Amino acid sequence: MHIPDGYLSPATCGVMYAASAPFWYLAVNRVRKVLTSRTVPVLALFSAFSFVLMMFNVPVPGGTTAHAVGATLLAIVLGPWAAVLGVSVALGIQALFFGDGGLLTFGANCFNMAIVMPFVGYFIYKVISSNSEITSPRRILGVVIGSYVGIVAAGAVAGIELGIQPALFHTANGTPLYAPYSLSVALPAMVIAHLAVAGPIEGAVTGGVVAYLQRSHPSLIKADATGRKEGKFWILWGALGVLALATPLGLLASGTAWGEWGLDELKNIGLGFIPRGLEKLAGWWPAPLPDYGFPRMGAVIGYILSAVVGIALVIFLLWMLGRRLSHKNSPAQ
Amino acid sequence: MKGEGFLGKNISSFTHALESVILAEDLCRAPGLLQRLDPRVKVATLLLFIVIVGLARSLWILGVIFVLILSFSLLSKVPLGFFLKRIMLFIPIFTAMIALPALFITPGAPLVSIAGRVIITEQGARTAGLLFLRVSDSLSFGVLLILTTTWANILVALRWFRMPSLIVDILGMTYRYIFLLLHTTNSMFLARRSRTIGSFSSGQNRRWLTRALATTMVKSQHLSEEVYLAMLSRGYQGEVRILNALSLKRRDFIWVAFALVVASFLLWSNRL
Amino acid sequence: MNTSDTGCIFEAKNLSYDYPGKIAALRQINFSIMPGELVALIGANGSGKSTLLKLLDGLIFPTDGELLAFGQPLSEQTFKEATFVSEFRRRVGLVFQDPDVQLFSPTVWDEVTFGPLQLEISKDEVISRSREVLELLNIAHLRERPPYLLSGGEKKKVSLACVLSLRPQVLLLDEPTTGLDPWSQGNLIDFLIQWADKGKSIVFSTQDLDTVEEMAKRVVVLGTEHNIVADGKPEEFLSDPDFLLRTNLVHEHSHRHKELVHRHPHLHEHQHQRYGADENMVG
Repeated sequence: MHIPDGYLSPATCGVMYAASAPFWYLAVNRVRKVLTSRTVPVLALFSAFSFVLMMFNVPVPGGTTAHAVGATLLAIVLGPWAAVLGVSVALGIQALFFGDGGLLTFGANCFNMAIVMPFVGYFIYKVISSNSEITSPRRILGVVIGSYVGIVAAGAVAGIELGIQPALFHTANGTPLYAPYSLSVALPAMVIAHLAVAGPIEGAVTGGVVAYLQRSHPSLIKADATGRKEGKFWILWGALGVLALATPLGLLASGTAWGEWGLDELKNIGLGFIPRGLEKLAGWWPAPLPDYGFPRMGAVIGYILSAVVGIALVIFLLWMLGRRLSHKNSPAQ
Repeated sequence: MKGEGFLGKNISSFTHALESVILAEDLCRAPGLLQRLDPRVKVATLLLFIVIVGLARSLWILGVIFVLILSFSLLSKVPLGFFLKRIMLFIPIFTAMIALPALFITPGAPLVSIAGRVIITEQGARTAGLLFLRVSDSLSFGVLLILTTTWANILVALRWFRMPSLIVDILGMTYRYIFLLLHTTNSMFLARRSRTIGSFSSGQNRRWLTRALATTMVKSQHLSEEVYLAMLSRGYQGEVRILNALSLKRRDFIWVAFALVVASFLLWSNRL
Repeated sequence: MNTSDTGCIFEAKNLSYDYPGKIAALRQINFSIMPGELVALIGANGSGKSTLLKLLDGLIFPTDGELLAFGQPLSEQTFKEATFVSEFRRRVGLVFQDPDVQLFSPTVWDEVTFGPLQLEISKDEVISRSREVLELLNIAHLRERPPYLLSGGEKKKVSLACVLSLRPQVLLLDEPTTGLDPWSQGNLIDFLIQWADKGKSIVFSTQDLDTVEEMAKRVVVLGTEHNIVADGKPEEFLSDPDFLLRTNLVHEHSHRHKELVHRHPHLHEHQHQRYGADENMVG
């Protein structure tokens, strides 16, 4: 699933670097706090392990082999934030030294495999296994399903990144400049490939390793490193993440979303008239980003960026609210 | 032998990785053009050209760049066959396979028709060519950098470009331990192969493999603890302090000027 | 940091250590080590030799009892103070058994300069010391090599070099001769003896009784119960086969002469074929 240079336009690459950057920044801070001066040796060894794991050829029924990524495994053993760094470092060395994955597309590859995958996988693992015993079969179930969904999610995001290229970046006569397949081809292809092949491999490998660890080194499968109160936030983050990623699928659906009609659409649906109040309000709020498009950018990127900006605003407001509330409850420092 | 395929594949890929490091380190010390340049300059021009490859809209620009790459590699004493093999190893072939259907399914003006039924469009041909050349060009730049710059020097360059020192320290140590882990896992596979009589089902192989993976992970964890103690023992207190010994020479400035001229020319002709 | 009234470098008082999970590693260890001593630490596998060396290097701390170095206790509290730690790290160096653990830097040069750099020694001093140490061990040509391209013997030399660049007073070595061919072993031993000649101290662990005979003036034997069973001159114990068998230092060997079975502890007699004093002792 490593996307080489040349498949994504520099603009897309820039956006994906921007999307990954906050996660990298947060990951460094979190990991440093937990691991302190052990950060360098622990992350170095686990990144090396992650790299080697990605190199393993896993036998697939039928005689061929496939590769696993192991991001969810790392998230389970070290926590998702450490997994972000570990997988990113491994991907970086793969890209630079072995040419597996491009340098411009590094941001996108990290977003898919080092961010989406461990978080989605870990989230589902936590939800399914919750507080069950470290050695219980329920943990294994959580591990297998989590890593399966994680890699499918990563594949889907990669499919979206590839699929929007022809529509956004082409010459005057329609030649796609980068990845040549449109969303309706790329996305299903990636999703199906991961559902059918990569997913089961990832699930089998991750599940197998954790099952072995349950017997031999259960201490490695530790409880959530980031603390109890994070639990509820996982659901929020998870939901927001899914929403943000699903937004471009809205483009695939024809017609505008239910309830978001502009005045013209209302007329066409069949409402022969426009409610008076609506008419008055319609012109009042000249939104800075009319119709969800950023000026001069392709529709899809505009869509996604609007989703990101929107979510960021919501989070910011919630965070401010949270700060106000906690200041009220906790004594002054 | 049925189960042999996957063992053999793993052994050969690990061995290949280990060998390629040795070759790369040797080439990095050869007295070639690129080897003599400051690593910071090389990393900067590499990035500049990869961006240009990304922005190119026409096939001939990408072609010119590829010729440039080949000449750089020759001037840096990189054997041509080795270089081409390294590039073509699997990504461009894989890309060719991906690009192939695009020849036929990209809508546009027909260019060539095969057996009177299947049509290759002009747009299809161009998009496949653009993709293939872009991938090859970008990859070649990366390979050139690796073959002419030691990993330790790349790290120094990254540090100079203000990459957080924590990340650079991790990158350096990760790289170093990858080879140790590759070596020990390779030994595991070789031991398994030497005890293999007949064949195993792929299920058995997968079980063995996940055990091997788990063992490697436990070993990694153990190593990380020991390495931490070794670092502490020599005074490590959380941040690695290093010696800085790079200086730009005249040839570095000449190279930068040359790169900028070529880059500007390519960008200008892109607009046409 | 001053030496204590007794002038000891190390002083262990009822020292005990448990691995996480309450597994006993060392029990009731008592000894003191004076400046200039050459001490061999021997015992079967699992008797706690590496653990004791790590305790002496302040990497882990006693779970019971006390360990003093230069008169100061080695504990989590004392190691919170940065000046104490720097001073201690300057004075005591530990060469790990596994060179792959010791060599974690990208190149040999990075490795050798690591120690002095962390201790905030001036850059010029760092460079001159490191050059000197590489010359001393004849590995200057390996300067730019990454560790994974070194042979086993070269790795051991670099492991030693990167600790020597700290110019420690006390050198701790965990099985320094393991894995080396006899010629390299001899060279290493000669080097260490020469190095210690100027009043420095060495504590090394080993499985190899020959090394003990050649190098150590004092032997500390760890027994199967994780305590010290003997502490004194090598000659006192090493010719006592029963003692050696009891402490698992040798195995019992038996071979047949037709119907007759010979049983005896497997001791190695070696010839003394050392080079003369004027020969180059470091190779």
